[in-house]
Amino acid sequence: MSLWVDKYRPTALGKLDYHKEQATQLKNLVQCGDFPHLLVYGPSGAGKKTRIMCLLRELYGAGVEKLRIEHQTIVAPSKKKIEINIIASNYHLEVNASDAGNQDRVVIQELIKTVAQSQQIQSSTQREFKVVLLTEVDRLTKDAQHALRRTMEKYMSTCRLILCSTSTSKVIGPIQSRCLAIRVPLPSTEEVCSVLTSICKKEGLLLPPELAKQIAQKSGRNLRKALLMCEACRVQQYPFSADQEVPQTDWEVYLRETANAIVSQQSPQRLLEVRARLYELLTHCIPPDIIMKGLVTELLSNCDGQLKTEVAHMAAYYEHRLQLGSKAIYHLEAFTAKFMAIYKKFMEDGLDGMMF
Amino acid sequence: MDEYDEMYGVQDDFDDQFADELDALAQLEEESSNPGKRQKQLPESDIRDVEHLLVDPSITPKAKRKKQDAGVVKRLFNSLQTHESKAPSQSDDISPPSSPEHYETPGNLRSTPVALDISGVATIPETPRRRPTAAPASLHVLKRPPLEGEYVSVTDSSGSRIYLRQTEDTGTKVVDSRLLPNSQGALGLLAVPIGVLREQEAERRHQQIMEESQRVTDLLTSSVNDELVQPESRGDGENYDPEDTEGRTSRLWVDRFSPRHYTELLSDDFTNRCLLKWLKLWDTVVFGRERKSRPVRSDRQAPNQKSFKPNQPNQNPNRFKTKIEVTEELLEAELDQYKRPKFKVALLSGPPGLGKTTLAHVIAKHAGYNVVEINASDDRSAEVFQKRIDAATQMKSVLGANERPNCLIIDEIDGAPAAAINILLATLNRKDGHGGEAGAETTKKKKKKESILLRPIICICNDLYVPALRPLKQQAFLLVFPQTQPSRLTQRLGEISLEQGMKVDSGTLMSLCEKTDNDIRSCINTLQFLHGRGHKQVNSKTIQNVSVGQKDQNKGLFHLWQAIFQLQRTKRKRIGEGFDEAPGSGSGAQRFQHILHLASSSGEFEKVSQGLYENYLSMRVRDPDLQSVCEALDWLSFSDRLNHVIMHGQNFSLMRYLPFLSVTFHFLFAHTHVPRISYPHSQHEASTRLLSSRNALSTMLADIPACIRTRISQLSLSLDILTLLLDIICPKLRPVNPQLFSSREKEQMRELINTMLAYNLSYRQDRTPEGQYTYILEPRVEEVVRFPGLPPRRQLTYQAKQTIGREMEQEKMRRAEQLMLQRNPATPREEEKKRAAPTSTRNHQQRLENIVKQTTVEIRPEVDFFGRVVVPKPQKPQPTSETGEKCAVVSLGKAVGDSDVWFRFNEGMSNAVRRNVYIRELL
Repeated sequence: MSLWVDKYRPTALGKLDYHKEQATQLKNLVQCGDFPHLLVYGPSGAGKKTRIMCLLRELYGAGVEKLRIEHQTIVAPSKKKIEINIIASNYHLEVNASDAGNQDRVVIQELIKTVAQSQQIQSSTQREFKVVLLTEVDRLTKDAQHALRRTMEKYMSTCRLILCSTSTSKVIGPIQSRCLAIRVPLPSTEEVCSVLTSICKKEGLLLPPELAKQIAQKSGRNLRKALLMCEACRVQQYPFSADQEVPQTDWEVYLRETANAIVSQQSPQRLLEVRARLYELLTHCIPPDIIMKGLVTELLSNCDGQLKTEVAHMAAYYEHRLQLGSKAIYHLEAFTAKFMAIYKKFMEDGLDGMMF
Repeated sequence: MDEYDEMYGVQDDFDDQFADELDALAQLEEESSNPGKRQKQLPESDIRDVEHLLVDPSITPKAKRKKQDAGVVKRLFNSLQTHESKAPSQSDDISPPSSPEHYETPGNLRSTPVALDISGVATIPETPRRRPTAAPASLHVLKRPPLEGEYVSVTDSSGSRIYLRQTEDTGTKVVDSRLLPNSQGALGLLAVPIGVLREQEAERRHQQIMEESQRVTDLLTSSVNDELVQPESRGDGENYDPEDTEGRTSRLWVDRFSPRHYTELLSDDFTNRCLLKWLKLWDTVVFGRERKSRPVRSDRQAPNQKSFKPNQPNQNPNRFKTKIEVTEELLEAELDQYKRPKFKVALLSGPPGLGKTTLAHVIAKHAGYNVVEINASDDRSAEVFQKRIDAATQMKSVLGANERPNCLIIDEIDGAPAAAINILLATLNRKDGHGGEAGAETTKKKKKKESILLRPIICICNDLYVPALRPLKQQAFLLVFPQTQPSRLTQRLGEISLEQGMKVDSGTLMSLCEKTDNDIRSCINTLQFLHGRGHKQVNSKTIQNVSVGQKDQNKGLFHLWQAIFQLQRTKRKRIGEGFDEAPGSGSGAQRFQHILHLASSSGEFEKVSQGLYENYLSMRVRDPDLQSVCEALDWLSFSDRLNHVIMHGQNFSLMRYLPFLSVTFHFLFAHTHVPRISYPHSQHEASTRLLSSRNALSTMLADIPACIRTRISQLSLSLDILTLLLDIICPKLRPVNPQLFSSREKEQMRELINTMLAYNLSYRQDRTPEGQYTYILEPRVEEVVRFPGLPPRRQLTYQAKQTIGREMEQEKMRRAEQLMLQRNPATPREEEKKRAAPTSTRNHQQRLENIVKQTTVEIRPEVDFFGRVVVPKPQKPQPTSETGEKCAVVSLGKAVGDSDVWFRFNEGMSNAVRRNVYIRELL
């Protein structure tokens, strides 16, 4: 518990640093007693999980913070054993069903049903429901999500689900409509800065505001990343200087270089090199949609205004195909090739225009 | 002189090299002369029961020839019964006629006037069936001469004259032309001139007499031999049987024209020779024959070399051996102690239809073995296989004529289960129990059940690289079948078609060979098919249009990729490609069909598309605006979607659209250059690496305490945390002893260790291949987040890592101790004691016990044991320790058990001195 991210994580709704009105709303939600299923969504590093844990603490008290890890083995109908890790307290249960891959439906059906079916013993002293926290719902297969629908309704009296995902687009409509959707947006740059400054103060360090701002920008307002960056800066050099170099994650640097390579030359040979780099990214556990997104962001910054729309359109098209298919590399390369073609044509046209 | 010598050597070589073959040929000649003898013998043996032969003419080929003669004779006897006098036995011979015509003649004769002359009789029997019985007869027998056509006038005894119309009955043409050299238009109505008939008859009688006499002499000389010859001759007859009419339609040409002798083999000569040589190596052990030519040759060569080239012991010592030489050398190798060749098994491999099985059978038969075959149609489970191998190699047929030793041929071994192959291997490697001299023990061995292998085994497979065959390959004499030479195949096909009365020119046959990839079986089958369809004249067009004969075999992925990426030159006519030889043979539609056919027959769409994906960018195609690349990628992503749908929805009907990817790639990237195609590895590599990164992450996650575990996921770990975390755990540390750290530095250190423990990271000492010690981060997440080509991150020094590692270990112990204390508030001493109790039966104590036993006189071991050990534990009563002697022992035991320190001499071990030490005393 010595990383700043963990050490200074707020544990109560009242102590949250930003989106305070949302925090009070959540508090009211708990206090009014009619607690619905929740779908908490927002970009990574915005504080979804923190907020959920605060909410749980508000519901059950400090007991939810005594966590344990359980290893459960579920036997699928095909006799295949699925091992899954569950983080549990006495009051709640956290499952990442997408760990089970294609078999997540079985996990949903077996595990959640057994939990949901069992009644709380002492309902007088506590809430009469348990909470099942499902993380990364957007990575659940459609089958699993459909399996969830009925469970949500049927065991409403004994169980509440809190679904946590980065976007609602991959959560099927029926589930969205059964949940109260709560969006946790990223903190603003100022909020990030203030959080960084306050933590540095607690650590007894002096953080120059310029550096704080730089960190906030480099981290893309992802608070977790910002804090880690700040701590890495601290390890790198203390006392801080305002123009200190902020360490970055390798994959982002690598992706940026890849984008530069694409822009600088458009040929089949370059496409081959880019393919090798894309493979490298994929094998480092970077999800393809994130690669696509990062690539587009980097490429767009190199594009002219009128090209931007076309590139964005192509990106959307290939991202969709990426979601439909299973071999990410084809789609990523297809997008790259298409971008190369568009870009090259654009550049040649521009050159021709210059000539006349 | 040198040259001469070399020449001489060459000749010698030839003699030696082909010694076996010459041998074989010599034997063959003998054999081929044997059949002649046999044929000569045949009548001798058979004439004894000529009647029987004539009765059942289909049994022997000889009888066939007889039949014609007999037919003639029969007719003669019928018509000229009064003319000729003959042996009584002969008249018996004739009694069952060969054709029913003979019986019908009287019926026919009835319609004609009684007093016909003999010549009329002769013609009528030829056409009995054709003549309608009643009504047509009146049309032919006329009162007046007919107006048209020729007629014969006949006057009967009463003087009335009738005219017989000469009809052009087709029946006359049916008459065997061989018998009627001059029947047409001749006045003499006899089918064969009487002179000829007489001659034939005389000859026949003469022959019969000769045979009879020979038979008698034969009977006298070798009455026993006869019996042996007979079955063989019958077997011979069966061989020729298929030539008979009823066999003509039912049997496959492949079987009918399969080679029966070594010289008829179509397969590569070298391969044949090698196998034959190998099989001959067994002669020593199987037949007891010594090898003749080999030693002679080496003897003869050795002096030659010594006399003329003393400084060159070997002709070409430092030249690399060709494959052929290596094979030859294998065959020259010495026999083992049981006089078996080094390789007990020959393994023939090659694509189907080259004649592997035929070769094995022919050679085994040729070398004097009785062939026992096991193929895929037999049960090849382990037990049955064992039984059959044993039966074939250990036993020998005692009944019947083939008392020849067995040669086991295991066909289609590549499909056999691994267990069966293991059994085969075990059989090969079976050692004789006694080892020693082989010769003396052969008799004994036969009685034992598990005796060594003394019979050759020939295995045949198509695919040499089946995993199950791997162990066998090392112990087998490998023979890879080359392609049959098209010229030889064509020649053979020509012979066959000639024999069957098909008119096929050699160009056509060449194209047939090309179409079937020189597959002998397929060629012959195609020919028979065409023959059966009524094609008497086959040209190359027919060959190309016919849809049989083309093998639907897997050509291999590289072939497919090459076909896709290479534009065929159109000047040579391709069989697979151009089904119609239209002028635009390179047209799009045709190429489309060709590639589609290839791709869909390959079946491995996944691999194919991977190969295309890996290679298309390195093709030399002018594509300045990347349009074709984009299209290709669109197709790839389409096929990926297809695959996804197929796999997830089990919707396999969509699979038919997959091969179109190859067609697209062909049209986009095909070029006349020969493409350099590499096998697609990258996807597999990527998936393995992805898996290993995932594993590293999950091992890291597995032991992270729950309170942190709940905040992080694999995704956030790889995206956000890990890179920065690795930076954070590399603080700047003064390279001094941690004891000398300032309080601030100590604090920093403590935090670092906390972090590392919280995130389940640790340093592990490791040794690099160069022999240097390093500390590496465990689990190996560094590889997950570090990318190649980026500036390296700062690393801690070896000392720093060592310090951290040590501190972490201490911290871990401290925590474990704390945890234990928390859980069990009982005094640690108590616990220690409890723990001591079960460990009391350790080695050193047992040793001590023994020592004590030696020193003292009579002690019960249990007593000793408990007495000594349980001393610190008062709750365990000492059972019996009253006597003085025992007390001495007990006191000794007490001395051992009481003190914390034991000593024992334990050579080479570092645990000579033991002491119970608690962690907290060290920390």
